[in-house]
Order: sequence, then structure tokens, then C-alpha cells
Amino acid sequence: MICAKTLCQECATQWDGIWHCAGCLGTLRRAKVERSSVLSWLGVLTVSALLLVAGARLMVWTAAVIAGLF
Amino acid sequence: MIRSPLSPTSVLDEATNVVSMTAAPWAGLLIVTTLPYRFLQALFIDQLIEVGKDAPRYGNLLGGTALMIVASIVLAVWGRTVYARACRLAHVRGTAPARETWRVPPAALASYLLTSAAMAILGYLSVFTCLGVAVAAIFSGLAIGTAELNERVSLIEPFRLIVRHTRTATPLALVCVFFCGFFVALVNLAAAFALGIWAMSALSDFDAPRWQALFTPGNRRYLLMLIAGALVTLEPFWIAAQVVFVSKAGAEERGDDLRAWFEELERAS
Repeated sequence: MICAKTLCQECATQWDGIWHCAGCLGTLRRAKVERSSVLSWLGVLTVSALLLVAGARLMVWTAAVIAGLF
Repeated sequence: MIRSPLSPTSVLDEATNVVSMTAAPWAGLLIVTTLPYRFLQALFIDQLIEVGKDAPRYGNLLGGTALMIVASIVLAVWGRTVYARACRLAHVRGTAPARETWRVPPAALASYLLTSAAMAILGYLSVFTCLGVAVAAIFSGLAIGTAELNERVSLIEPFRLIVRHTRTATPLALVCVFFCGFFVALVNLAAAFALGIWAMSALSDFDAPRWQALFTPGNRRYLLMLIAGALVTLEPFWIAAQVVFVSKAGAEERGDDLRAWFEELERAS
């Protein structure tokens, strides 16, 4: 509990594995949720697309190498 | 019987319950979204066997199929993320999840797309080694297990989460269990096909001898379809096991496992 008050288990609610009282839960609920930046989104989506295309090329290369072995 | 909370037996036991709770419609959705990916993989291997040593000269053909596989991965990633969410909700609540399963956090979906693309590359590179394939399987399983833990989009954090869950031997044990399970699924699927042909042979219009000749392990395409089918059959259990493992590992870190154990003891007494 953030406020460090003593409460019985019936009055406490668990959130993310931590027990909170109603007041602390309200504070957490009102707290501003930190959103991911547009730059992070662009970075992750670009790297994912690049990895997927690289994966396709690597798949063909691996297949050609394996086929050459037999 | 005393079992460690993170033992493979305990994880598989709970994963089976989770699969029974999420079978309809979520496992169906997973299978439908994964089928194009698996069948295209089978088509790629079939084409590779067909062209044989001349594979380098058929780069356009193989490259085209490879690009189709990449496109189908995106659909499969979405299906897997939805199913992983269904598994997590079922595991936490102990009941079948409802419509809230569709609300997959975009950050989780983007993170899983990134990690699955990276794991695919790791998988292709590790084809030439024996140990590498097992490592790639461990990481790709943990990628779906930890997908929903990503609250924000990041290039590093999803990989850090995966590595954090590799400290125990349970993921390796799960890979070994599912490796054996693959052969069990393969035999069962082949038996189901044989049973189907035998039952159909009772119909006068059905050309049983012709179909029996096609449904034999000697037929390469039938064998590839069986392998694809066995992988699709195992997929719900594989994802459920990964989600349950990650969830239990998190509970152990927070001390929730002790509380659950104490409640279990109280119920038993």
C-alpha cells in the first residue's frame, strides 16, 4: 500500500500484484498513463518490417544452401 | 504429490485447463489464422524438394512463396496474440474469456511482431545446428508468452523480458515435451485420415483404392500436410503453456504463489 495504512484483506484490492486501499487505487487510476512516443512506434514497425523482409530472403538462402547439400 | 510451482508438469497441467476453457472460439480463431502460414511453409518445402539442387536458379519462385509466408506471418501474429490474451484471462479468472479478449493492447501486438520477426531469423540461422533450433524454439515460445507484458512500445524491452524468463530450465523442458508431442500429434492425425478413408470406403461412389494410394507416407505432399496439421494442432497447447509459465513465473516474483498455496491449503483442511 502506498499510504502504508493497516487494512484488513476485505478492504484491500490487488492491482499488479500489490495490495492497495480505495484511496491509493483512485490516485493510481487518475495518474497519467505514459504513452509510447510516435518515434518508438515508427522504430518498432520499421525494424519489424525490415526483419520480416530479411527473414524472407534468409529463408530462400537457407533453402538454397540446404538443397545444395543433397 | 509435491510439485514446484514452475515445474513443467504443473505448467502443462494448468495449460490443459486453459486450453479447455479457450477452445471455443479462441482456439478456432488461432487455427484459422495460423493455417495459411503453415500451409505456405509446406508449399515452400514442397517447391524446394521439387527443384532440388537447382534451387539457386529458382530464386524468383522460392522468393515469391517466401514473401507470401511473410505476409501470412502478420495474420498469424495477430491470431496468436489474441489467443495468448484469451489464455491469460482464462488462467487469471478461471472462467472462459468473453469479448474483452479482442481488445489486444497495440503495444503487445507490435512487440510480438518485432520479436517473432527476430525469432524467425534466429530460426533460419539455427537450421544448420541442433542446439540452435531448441534455443530458437525457447525464445519464440517466450516471445508469445511475454507479449502482453509489454505495456509500451520499445525496441529493447521485449527482448529483455524474454531473456528474464530464461533463467529456469522449464522453457527447455517444455520444448522437449512438445517435440515428443509433435510425433504423437502426427501419428494421431495420420490415424484419423486412415480412419476417414476406411469409413468413406463404405460409400459406393468413393474410389477408395485411389485415395489409399495418395494418403501414404510415400506421398510427399500428404506427409508435408500431416506435419503442418500436427503443428497447427499443437499450437493452442504450446501458447497456453508459455502464457501459464510466464504468468506463474511473475506470480513467484511477486509472492502471489505463496498466497495461492496458502489458500489451497486452507481449502484442503
